[in-house]
Amino acid sequence: MQPDSREVYHDGVVKRLVQFSILWAVVGMFVGVYLSAELIWPGLDFGQFWLSFGRIRPLHTNGIIFGFGVSALMATAFYSVQRTSNVPLFMPRLAWICCYGWQVVVLFGGLSLLAGWTSTKEYAELEWPFDIAITVLWVCFAVVFFGTIATRRIKSIYVSNWFYGGLIIVIAMLHIVNNLAIPVTYNKSYSLYAGAQDAIVQWWYGHNAVGFLLTGGFLGMVYYFLPKQANQPIWSYRLSVVSFWAFTYTYIWAGPHHLHYSAIPEWVQSLGMAMSLILLAPSWATMINGIMTVSKAWKKLTVDPALKFIVLALAFYGLATFEGPMMAIRSVNIVSHFTDWTIGHVHSGALGWNAMITYGTFYFMVPRMMGRELYSVRLANIHFWLALAGTMLYILAMWGAGVSQGLLWLSIDELGEVSYSFTDIMASMVPYYGLRLVGGLVFLSGTILMAYNLLRTMYGRHTVMVHPPEVIDELKGTRHNPDAVMGAPAANGTEVPA
Amino acid sequence: MLFAVLHTPGVIFREISQGNSQVIGSVQKLTFFLILLPPVFAWIGSTLFGWRLGTADPLYFDNTTRVIISFFYADALILGYIATVLLARWMTDTYGVQGVRLESLFAFFTVVCAPLSIASCAHIYPNIFFNVLVLIPCIIWSMNLLYRGLPTVLNIPPERGMLMSSSLVGWLLVAFVSLLGLSAGLWTYGIGPTIGV
Repeated sequence: MQPDSREVYHDGVVKRLVQFSILWAVVGMFVGVYLSAELIWPGLDFGQFWLSFGRIRPLHTNGIIFGFGVSALMATAFYSVQRTSNVPLFMPRLAWICCYGWQVVVLFGGLSLLAGWTSTKEYAELEWPFDIAITVLWVCFAVVFFGTIATRRIKSIYVSNWFYGGLIIVIAMLHIVNNLAIPVTYNKSYSLYAGAQDAIVQWWYGHNAVGFLLTGGFLGMVYYFLPKQANQPIWSYRLSVVSFWAFTYTYIWAGPHHLHYSAIPEWVQSLGMAMSLILLAPSWATMINGIMTVSKAWKKLTVDPALKFIVLALAFYGLATFEGPMMAIRSVNIVSHFTDWTIGHVHSGALGWNAMITYGTFYFMVPRMMGRELYSVRLANIHFWLALAGTMLYILAMWGAGVSQGLLWLSIDELGEVSYSFTDIMASMVPYYGLRLVGGLVFLSGTILMAYNLLRTMYGRHTVMVHPPEVIDELKGTRHNPDAVMGAPAANGTEVPA
Repeated sequence: MLFAVLHTPGVIFREISQGNSQVIGSVQKLTFFLILLPPVFAWIGSTLFGWRLGTADPLYFDNTTRVIISFFYADALILGYIATVLLARWMTDTYGVQGVRLESLFAFFTVVCAPLSIASCAHIYPNIFFNVLVLIPCIIWSMNLLYRGLPTVLNIPPERGMLMSSSLVGWLLVAFVSLLGLSAGLWTYGIGPTIGV
């Protein structure tokens, strides 16, 4: 069936989600900077409970992961699934409900964390009323996304949609299982699990939230926006599909590496370590696929700041996905665990990979949706160098702090007692935290520049009306070479406004 | 030659690019000296001042442990240097470079690493934060040399050079973090500071 000439892609909801994502990025990163300042000057909480480290730390992580990250994932999933399926969004009103509903949950969920409501589970701190709201909204997201795929006009399901689909299904499963609890009041519940079982379920959730949301979802972004930006087909489509299934199969087992040397069975720890090491293969397959794709588009680097972000994001993706399995090795983990090395590792992924790939994608997507040039390419280039400098400062400071802490926690005297107290060690970390604060401020200032640049690009404009293009017979057939999808502008790329 | 490498790296890059065997040979002679500096400085620092982790007491090791640590450090640097050159050679096809000479790449990476190697004199005072502070600007300097020099040495457009340099930065970050992981593993097995494991 060919598209109706009255059909248009629903990009208004995409634009709104991008705006919310930018807002949460600035807010979440500002909170992160404030947190790092509190570790240097603890008096910055001014004696207020709601400003204490324990309350604003989950605000930072939830704001970044669910506010910035998920809003960006919804925006890019809605944008790309229409174009790879050649149909407008299924149930667009539900997409709008999903968009605004999600922001309400992030806003009030954040306030509830400041008020001290917490389930105490890392990255799943929100209490049961929010868990139910998230479940309902996630189902809405799934209906819109899979409904669009079900009504597609192209036979094949492009690989980016596999990753977005994996994100939606696995996060739903993790969220529901990990948050099963008995509510006792409107703001307090107790987990159905206890002791070591609770820990295993929590880190099955925690690690796979990193895996399927912060890695898998953002790989969906890479697989659509990188070939579009580079105007090249994926270097090896087959490798992308193989790495998807290997990634999906392997990641789900790796969670126990968060619980090394704990009360869980040793074989479970060893299994988690082994699967973490195997995970390096699909992770690097994707990195190589991305680097080889972009290597053919070098001429665009002169004029295209978005591509620079994507190239750098791939380098940090390679770093983070190597460092993670290495830190899962038990003899390394005993030194690195409970130190700032872990914080550095998380931020080499969060800043270097997640934020950079999102920035690159936004710089690509916003001018095309608005039908005008980016407000300032110069500002985007400045942003690139600020982002790189901020990330490097951050992770170098945390590597230094982490290695020092690892040695100091484990240092024992001749009587076999610990040589240094916790407070002494923390006091000696202040110089590193100062360096981390500088890195965070540099990164945040770059994000504010991007916010200004993109909002000026959007200012006073509606999204361009884009009609689904005619589908050529080759793509409607039973089988075709999927590489052709992304590399053939005539088939799939006519949405780019002149 | 060391002064020229640090002061006028652009000239050296052009000479390497033109295959000037005299310059390439001189730079290669520097390699041996530059690669030994960090472990030697580390050995001197740990002997004179001990490792200073920010708390009151420095950590002192016996001489055998200091030699073993310095030996592993030197090994890791030599392996990392050779691996980086071979990896760069392997990458050249992807970035449209034909027939690059291996000795040119060895000379190029010696120039790139020179600021870091000289800055390793900070190891004489092995306070981790002091070392981080000294090495950060030198890392930036070395990265700048990598991004500027690679297109010149390989005779490729700057944009292609940027892509290849970024791939190499990814590799170097991985190599550095491997060094951290390897160190932590060795400490766990009793080589290095005594830790309660």
